[in-house]
Amino acid sequence: MSSDLYREQLLDHYHNPENFGVLDNADVDIDMDNPTCGDMIHLTARLDAEGRVTEVKFEGQGCVISMASSSMFTEEIVGKTPEEISKMGLSDIQEMMGGVRLSMGRVKCALLPLNAMKQGLKEAGKL
Amino acid sequence: MPLDVAAIRQEFPIFERTTHGKRLVFLDSAASSQKPRAVIGAMMRVYTHSYANVHRGLYALAEEATELYEDARAKIARFINAPDPAEVVNVRNATEGINLVAYSWGETNIHAGDRIVLTEMEHHANLVPWQQLALRKGADLAYIPVTETGHLDLAALPPLLEDGRTKIVACSVMSNVLGTTPPVTQIAEMAHAAGALVMMDGAQAVPHRPMDVQALGADFMAFSGHKMCGPGVGILWGRGELLEAMPPFLYGGDMIRTVKRDYAKWNDVPYKFEAGTPPIAEVIGLGAAVDFLSAIGMDAIHTHEQDIVTYTLARLAELPWLHVLGPGPYERGGVVSFWVDGIHPHDIASVLDAEGVCVRAGHHCAQPLHERFGIAASARASFYIYNDKDDVDALVDALHQVVRILGR
Repeated sequence: MSSDLYREQLLDHYHNPENFGVLDNADVDIDMDNPTCGDMIHLTARLDAEGRVTEVKFEGQGCVISMASSSMFTEEIVGKTPEEISKMGLSDIQEMMGGVRLSMGRVKCALLPLNAMKQGLKEAGKL
Repeated sequence: MPLDVAAIRQEFPIFERTTHGKRLVFLDSAASSQKPRAVIGAMMRVYTHSYANVHRGLYALAEEATELYEDARAKIARFINAPDPAEVVNVRNATEGINLVAYSWGETNIHAGDRIVLTEMEHHANLVPWQQLALRKGADLAYIPVTETGHLDLAALPPLLEDGRTKIVACSVMSNVLGTTPPVTQIAEMAHAAGALVMMDGAQAVPHRPMDVQALGADFMAFSGHKMCGPGVGILWGRGELLEAMPPFLYGGDMIRTVKRDYAKWNDVPYKFEAGTPPIAEVIGLGAAVDFLSAIGMDAIHTHEQDIVTYTLARLAELPWLHVLGPGPYERGGVVSFWVDGIHPHDIASVLDAEGVCVRAGHHCAQPLHERFGIAASARASFYIYNDKDDVDALVDALHQVVRILGR
């Protein structure tokens, strides 16, 4: 329902995303899209010596759900290890987004940054 | 005479419900239409009174079911002015009908070096089967381009027909995104003069305007019952001599004349193409849908939708931040796709949903077309007999709400 889906918190992240941009010399550097709806994300992240995420940036375009999720995700995963991130799922993303209930059609939008990060970690040999 | 939309809505039980506590404004009939009591009742009567398998039974009930099934086929044939009900093949949907042609006719008639011509406005259903056939056979694929205004650039066709390599032209009778109604009769004349056949995708046209497959010059036409008040069943019509010459697409029961251990002989058309137990109640339901639409009148339906589209385009023109895809009024059917600066179509659809307005958002199974216009997706409102100008006003009001919530 739109009143819930488009609550203030999500709209804030959509209009003024956190960590919007690209990290140079990143450990993780991945592009991912939802071909069916055109959502696109470019995610870069740095990991410290222990393998924990220290910094994340994203750029991209898409719907409120994918962009707000991406913005919140860049804050959510700082301090986490690749193993911890690999165990994250939809319920974690919904919780991160303030308990929003997503319809089936919008789940893949919300999961875009998590799926991108998991793929990026794999490609970087961190998972 | 204008349609009595209030009376027509009474025939559709779904409009007795609300959505999110609001009046149901259903603007997604191009995806699938709602069902009238006449169709629901006809299917209920089959299951409660006249059901048995068709073409096999030696008892009265089976004969009754067979008669209803074949009567429906005849009604559907008359609805599109097919010369012979035997040319009407019952399939699952328009997509399966086109696949039937691409596999059966295509495997036999398309060879390496041949050319298949499509248009840039094709639904994936009339694109991917041909693309894959071309890949299997080493044939060329060419597209008639779409102009900025959403018309076909017909000047591109003659050069594709000159060398005689083009064997088939696959073309939509009405675009499911742009609403454009290409000059299919002219395309058919040009194709036939060059020895090519024409596969027409009638999924968007047949439910909304009078249809005459002979006058259009089609060789094949596929359409879906569920978009025309009927249930989930599709129709493939093909010229008799073409269907006669084609090998079966699916093999099994009912499509054979005799089966020996090492070979089989095929049944006559259309049964050759209807392997297994067909969708009996669905075909009978589509027959009821054809009766329902014919009673309203296809000319009246077409005029009604032209009025709504004209009104819609005028109302949407009031919104400077909204962009409409496709041609102006009287050059399109009852489909209006649009996009809004800086707002994703999925967000548009979600906000409209909360206001009771159901629209489609995405690429509408026409990715190459959206690519041509440089966008990934659009939102689409589509109209039918149960829509009126109040629905358009509800759409415009809800679009203002979209910008209030999501605009900067």
